[in-house]
Amino acid sequence: MITDMKQLDGVHIAVLGGDIDGRSAPQIQETLLPLVSENCKILLDMSHVTYMSSAGLRILLLLYRQIADNAGRVVLVGLPEKIWDTMSITGFLDFFEAYSTLAEGMAALHIPAEAADK
Amino acid sequence: MRMKALTVPGEPEYLGDIVEYVLTAAEMAQLDERAAYRLRLAVDEIATNIVAHGFTKTGQEGWLRITAVFTPTQLKIQLDDTAAPYDPTQCPQPATLHASPHDRHPGGLGIYLALGGVDNFRYERRNGWNRSTFIAQRKPALVPAY
Repeated sequence: MITDMKQLDGVHIAVLGGDIDGRSAPQIQETLLPLVSENCKILLDMSHVTYMSSAGLRILLLLYRQIADNAGRVVLVGLPEKIWDTMSITGFLDFFEAYSTLAEGMAALHIPAEAADK
Repeated sequence: MRMKALTVPGEPEYLGDIVEYVLTAAEMAQLDERAAYRLRLAVDEIATNIVAHGFTKTGQEGWLRITAVFTPTQLKIQLDDTAAPYDPTQCPQPATLHASPHDRHPGGLGIYLALGGVDNFRYERRNGWNRSTFIAQRKPALVPAY
């Protein structure tokens, strides 16, 4: 579920928590997708997520594509180890930017993606 | 030793009961946190798949039955269902695991996570039921020496 949403320095911050599975995924998707707009910046705080199944991966993929299509950016922060594992073995960390802390995620969103890659 | 089986209708609102059953069994087997998480993920993925594709999409009504069997070295979860025959081990591994996000197909990830998340996975069809068996090894240190 989504426990908090706010906007800070032009960044939409969504705090996710609890279990992200087939039952909770539709509500999360409905809440996150409207945040996407041209050049949007979105930060997903995953530090309170206790579980994520492939239903969560599907939402993240859909969200990533829509953001990329709108020349926006998305970063994940605070991925718990077990969820990091799931995202790593499925190749999701090949394209998602993930940072340990909110501050690092916010900083990354304020530098151009090309510079962040270097 | 086995835990009393749980039988529920093949409907999404009962998936939480299946997960609770697995977590209780994992705790009783004293699986470590990571192994318990991966077992839960594996059973959740397969059960969700059965309910979505075996029952909801086809409009067929049916049942899921879960049983935990404990041996000194293993926790074995048997997940039975009355949907049409479907063998998850025949589902091809997603070809796009390391493709760019726009070329990826999200299908198949659940089964990939399920089969890779446990020490062994078996499928069989018997008496009109599908049986998926998930095996997690118990830590040797916790196994009494006989």
